[in-house]
Amino acid sequence: MPRKTSRKKPATAKKPRKRAEKKKALPKLEGPRIGVFVCQCGSNISSVIDVDALTKYAQTLPNVVHAENMNYPCSHQGQEKVKAAIKNNKLDRVVVAGCSPRLYEPTFQTCVSQADLNPWLFEMANIREFASYVHKNAPAEANEKARDTLRMAVAKARLLEPLKPLELPMTKKVMVLGGGISGINAALDLADMGFKVYVVEKTETIGGYMALLDKTFPTLDCSICIEGPKMVDVSRHPNIEIISYAEVLKVDGNVGNFKVRVRKNPRYVIAANCTGCGECRDACPIEYPNYADMYLGVRKAISPPYGQAVPLTHTINRDYCIECFKCVDACGAREAINFDQKPEEVELNVGAIIVSIGYDMYNPKDLEWTGYGKYTNVFTALEFERLILAAGPTGGKVVRASDGEKPHSIAFIQCVGSRDVNHYEYCSSFCCMYTLKHAVMLKEKYRDAIEVYVFFNDMRSNFKGYEEFYNRAKKGGVKFVRVKLENRRITEDPKTNNLTVCGETEEGQPVSANVEMVVLANAAIPQTTANELSRLLGISLGKDGFFVECQPKIRPTDTAVPGIFLSGACQGLKDIPYCVAQGSAAAAQAASVLSKDSWSVEPIVAKVNEDLCSGCRVCESACGYKAINVEKVGEKSIAKVAEGLCRGCGICSSACPMDAVTMPNYSDKQIVAQIEAVMEKKVKSK
Amino acid sequence: MPLRTVKKDTSNSLSLEWILQIKKYKLELDKNRCTGCVICSLACPKEAIKTERLPKHQGEKARKPKVDVDLSKCNFCGICDILCPYGAIKLSIDGQHVLSVVDKKSFPTLTRDIQTNSKKFPANPKQAEEACPLKLITASYSTTDGKTVQDLASLLEPQRSWVSLNVKIDKEHCPCCTVCESKLPQGAVQVRKFLSGKITINQPKCPQGCTDCLDVCPITGALYLSDQDGKVHTNETFCVYCGACKMVCPVDGALELKRTRINHSPVRSGAWNKALERLTSPIDMTKELKTKGSLRARESVKRRMRLEEEQVA
Repeated sequence: MPRKTSRKKPATAKKPRKRAEKKKALPKLEGPRIGVFVCQCGSNISSVIDVDALTKYAQTLPNVVHAENMNYPCSHQGQEKVKAAIKNNKLDRVVVAGCSPRLYEPTFQTCVSQADLNPWLFEMANIREFASYVHKNAPAEANEKARDTLRMAVAKARLLEPLKPLELPMTKKVMVLGGGISGINAALDLADMGFKVYVVEKTETIGGYMALLDKTFPTLDCSICIEGPKMVDVSRHPNIEIISYAEVLKVDGNVGNFKVRVRKNPRYVIAANCTGCGECRDACPIEYPNYADMYLGVRKAISPPYGQAVPLTHTINRDYCIECFKCVDACGAREAINFDQKPEEVELNVGAIIVSIGYDMYNPKDLEWTGYGKYTNVFTALEFERLILAAGPTGGKVVRASDGEKPHSIAFIQCVGSRDVNHYEYCSSFCCMYTLKHAVMLKEKYRDAIEVYVFFNDMRSNFKGYEEFYNRAKKGGVKFVRVKLENRRITEDPKTNNLTVCGETEEGQPVSANVEMVVLANAAIPQTTANELSRLLGISLGKDGFFVECQPKIRPTDTAVPGIFLSGACQGLKDIPYCVAQGSAAAAQAASVLSKDSWSVEPIVAKVNEDLCSGCRVCESACGYKAINVEKVGEKSIAKVAEGLCRGCGICSSACPMDAVTMPNYSDKQIVAQIEAVMEKKVKSK
Repeated sequence: MPLRTVKKDTSNSLSLEWILQIKKYKLELDKNRCTGCVICSLACPKEAIKTERLPKHQGEKARKPKVDVDLSKCNFCGICDILCPYGAIKLSIDGQHVLSVVDKKSFPTLTRDIQTNSKKFPANPKQAEEACPLKLITASYSTTDGKTVQDLASLLEPQRSWVSLNVKIDKEHCPCCTVCESKLPQGAVQVRKFLSGKITINQPKCPQGCTDCLDVCPITGALYLSDQDGKVHTNETFCVYCGACKMVCPVDGALELKRTRINHSPVRSGAWNKALERLTSPIDMTKELKTKGSLRARESVKRRMRLEEEQVA
């Protein structure tokens, strides 16, 4: 199939031969000149594989003009030896028999290119993972397999073609998806670097959960006081455009050139005219439960979710509005209200995307033992947060829902839904600390007038200043009760609406406390939109429902898709400072992409022979990356490859009934040559 | 505590609640007062109220249509409360009867214009009470020392002058049918209807022996069974144009009902215009808007004239 190989000889391959003819220093050989380097890898390979024998065997293979074994060719010294061998023996193909190409292929590609050899004229034979590691108890067979693997690599190397890296154009703009504290930081960092940033936010305001909190631990800083200025910075930055109350509909393209279709939902208020004065809100007669207050309080049918919202553009909730148009009268000459506003779709063209959609909160209604939703004085932590917040619906008064009285005793219950194999197996990571914060705040405000119990299983206070904060809670008189996560129970006295919390110690002893209010540390869970987004962006979700990073330890902000980065709690639950840090990390990652004038990618992408293609769309349906699409070219329908999206998996190539799609350096001819090499006989192709 | 939404449906009442930590909204329908007219369903801006006809059992009287409110659509605005001619729906916030649509001038109130003249009331207070078909009048005579007098006729002439009459008319639930006006001595009560319109029975279409409309009409005398032809006839003097009769009429076109005007407090509101259009007709709504418009124009002219006069002075 790959006719090119036979006709066109690689340029780099020709040069040394010409020189060789002139100097007559080396014997003339037909075809390529292959060098084989067998790695001992300390004892990883050499303890099982007879590397000397393998090297000798390599010398017997056709076209191999040089073979040597060495310890660690990947080391600086080793690489120098390889380079020298290429120069001295006029090698035009290099095979390293060693470990996995996943780890060291890029290293050796750089190495051979430094010796003026095209990096795609390099091939690796994995005799470590494939032979010495897995068959160490059967050395004879392991050696045989190493020989087979090497023979295959040499067979392929003979047919390798020099390739050029693909250069993709770079759009110097970036989209930050989600305007929580992590997204805010990513956006500000990138904007300061001079890139145009679009912050696309699902809700009416940026700020995320942090904007709803009262205080932050362990310093007890006012949350909105430290986040508010950042939110305002975002709205005022000349390089940032906030697209709030919007959702992503479609994502096309690839790194350097993503095309994102975004729908702006109608607020029925013209953002450019709305000054956020609130006169319409005062005129509005209709109230509805406010999500930002965790439904403890209400907001008007035309209003912002809270006073510090950014943008402060009001929104009319048409589900509740009765259309009396009093707001229109109140707005007057500003004419900011437009009841005929329609959803608006915009297309953003960006070079990179940062996903920072955050998390959601688990509704503990399903956990019957908690009595949440049934007993009036059982709260979730976020509801409690709105209760103690001075700007909250109760004006900062911690009061019971049943009678409006201040409770004299409160129990905090940890791990509600999280660390539970039947619900969410993971630890929600910040609940221990916010519970300590609530406990300390209550104790320091009301002192002996309130009894505070914390029913916990393990206290996780493992970051800077956190353990000290735990000690502060202990010293402050908070009663910590260690219980098993099983057999916990909350019951209510229907007369007084007081609650009894029962549990078991690790030793199986029953413990209980009678309290007037219960606060549940309910699990933080993946965003409801995470599934849809993973589909739109082509990035994967882990078993726990959070986005999967490229490598959990050393590439925590990358996704498997180039140009898409993760930031904040959507990658894994984390507390504010780590969300902030990851926001900046993702910004730096994105900047390293955006700052390039073009993005070079490995040229292992599908190539379509337009004369053979029948436009049958088999490849289109086979491709998992939306990278090959049939387009009309004049009269004919022809498959076109979006080179930035193609991952080089080759599925289109094998699916194509016309043999019109090829993968460079994974051509049928090369693969057949490998099969023939391992079978040691001729095989029939396709 | 999360937001709790509660819906209770009993034989006497239907109640809907939003229970928030800081506020409790409650909408309650008194099924005994409700006639099943469609006014609330028509007026509801969120189309949350459905009125459903109930099947008639053999040999029994026609049943009032059933009113149901969708808790997921209701926004507790209280427009149904304002417009119910019988005051059968009440909205309360934290137990208080609060109508913020009225306070914010987003919706008018119905004008229940009822005047009483105690001097002209009958001697027997029972007679006054019985004059109302909905039992909304309470009347009693009492002496200066606070004693209740059963019958004024039992007293001697000098004593009569010391006696005072206490009349209470439950205006909140009064549909202003004017039945009391005709039953009590002239001038004792003066009632102006808040709903005007036209009701006609298309006699050829009206089935013989059917009294469904009469069965559900709460106003004695607004509809009556004629001795001559055995069919139901209308008496517009007492009809309040609620439309309960039309809801149960089994024959399409046998009973025609049209509301043309609603007497209400002045207001400028889109929500009211919409409700008015649905309750009357687009033409009648436009009429009201025009009247309002010309009134406003006249006022503004007057204001300007006065300004000019002042400037001249």
